[in-house]
Amino acid sequence: MARNPIRDQVAIVGLGSTGFSRDADGRSSKALACEASIRAIRDAGLEAADIDGLVGAAEPGGPQPYAMSAALGLPGVTHFSNPTPVAIFALVDAMNAIFSGACETVLLYFPYLRLPWNSRSAAADPFRRGQTLGVMPAPESVNAAAAYAAWASRYIHEFGATREDFGRVALNGRANAARNPLAAMKAPLSMEGYLGARMIREPLCMLDMDVPVDGADAFVLTTTERARKITRNPVVIHAASVGLVGDNDEDQLRSLERHGQHVVVESLRAKSDLWLDDMDVFFPYDGFSIITLGWIENFGWCKPGGAGRFLQAHWDEKEGRVMINGRVPINPHGGSLSEGATRGSGHLREAVMQLRGDAGERQVADARTALIGCGGFFFNSQGAILRRL
Amino acid sequence: MSGAVDDAALLERFPYARIDHDNKHFYRGWLGERLLIQRCEGCADFHHPPKPICPRCWSDSLVPTQVSGRGVIHLVMLLHQGPPAEGVDYARAPHPVVTVELEEQEGLRFTSTVVDCPSQEVRIGLPVELAWIERSGAPFPVFRPRAGA
Repeated sequence: MARNPIRDQVAIVGLGSTGFSRDADGRSSKALACEASIRAIRDAGLEAADIDGLVGAAEPGGPQPYAMSAALGLPGVTHFSNPTPVAIFALVDAMNAIFSGACETVLLYFPYLRLPWNSRSAAADPFRRGQTLGVMPAPESVNAAAAYAAWASRYIHEFGATREDFGRVALNGRANAARNPLAAMKAPLSMEGYLGARMIREPLCMLDMDVPVDGADAFVLTTTERARKITRNPVVIHAASVGLVGDNDEDQLRSLERHGQHVVVESLRAKSDLWLDDMDVFFPYDGFSIITLGWIENFGWCKPGGAGRFLQAHWDEKEGRVMINGRVPINPHGGSLSEGATRGSGHLREAVMQLRGDAGERQVADARTALIGCGGFFFNSQGAILRRL
Repeated sequence: MSGAVDDAALLERFPYARIDHDNKHFYRGWLGERLLIQRCEGCADFHHPPKPICPRCWSDSLVPTQVSGRGVIHLVMLLHQGPPAEGVDYARAPHPVVTVELEEQEGLRFTSTVVDCPSQEVRIGLPVELAWIERSGAPFPVFRPRAGA
């Protein structure tokens, strides 16, 4: 067992979300962040003066912590930061700040507003026109998002994976999103529909890629000690970790056998009292479908290359989704592919909702423990195990 | 010839590239149609993309070294849409992007496109060699299938 003095010491006591859509109709990233933040603070039964930590994960054009402090009128913040996406970077920073005493109660906010380079309607918004990626890169790059299509080709080459293996990730997300009022994409999806979707970066099609959305999630975190006083259902962070290897330039990654996800899994496993048999709900990130297959294999649910067969073997035909061993759903909120591209804050929110027993018709009976594998292979691999006290 | 190009002029020749002090030698090589991969004088290891030190032994004695450009396709994707570039017409055919493992060293890779080969025949394992095309008025390194391999 690795050193993990923070185990169960920090709790998530407030949740707020705007829900997600393909177009927030003229609202700003800051407006969305404020709405979610106020909801989360009220959900925790707290007020502005209780918030002394502010951790954002604002994408380009989103509000920095000082701007959120100004908008929300927070009287005294002793810790703030703006970690890069995806979500668990921010969660880990907030957790560490609380445990260290840098602050006691953190507002964690995740605003998303479609950007001019991933949405035609966003590009038509004059106020967003100024946001650019800088130098327009040549097409001959497998950096960032393109890396997942490139490595998906390798995965197919090495393991003989089929398009249906990827498609089941998309179908599972869509079936789950149908029961999530916050989700952007709820129209039923069949395998035929998946196979017919437009190719973007072959072998990945449009439905293998997360859907750009507008919206925001927010969370309030505090010490478990304080959480016991202010809420009857605290959810604690049992273990959390990020993971990085040296060869993380996308085209130089040594192989699919050793990348950031493996570091995360080793770290979580060494820090946690709980493992796969203890999990009631599983959140493998799905910014791209290949990432989900990676998390399923790398956590050890099956062997490398076996995720497609695993999804097939645990497929619930009646519900059109995965139920591991007939019991554990995968991304019951719909994930990034169907709820919307929340860079993992949706996965984190749904984990907390499930553990609080607040997930409505999606509720997993008596959910006590959740496993999150967030981010991809290169520079944003991360994970967390949450549990109900 | 390429030695005469200062940093500001180099930027202008490659408007689509993110050039900095760590990789400027790499792009200067393109002007002379040479693929220069950074090699450590201490441990002889190649690395790419260029870094200020050798990631293997931390030496800063690095030499941009011309490589053969021969290798085998390791990753491949076909872009059905993507960033605009001279000579790239996504509507005509999907544009192949390949990561090639170079013969100089295991795991040493360079990413570009493949010419003289139909998109659907570009596959992992295909032996390729370096070729040069012109893009936006400057040389651009690409791959083509290696004859007789």
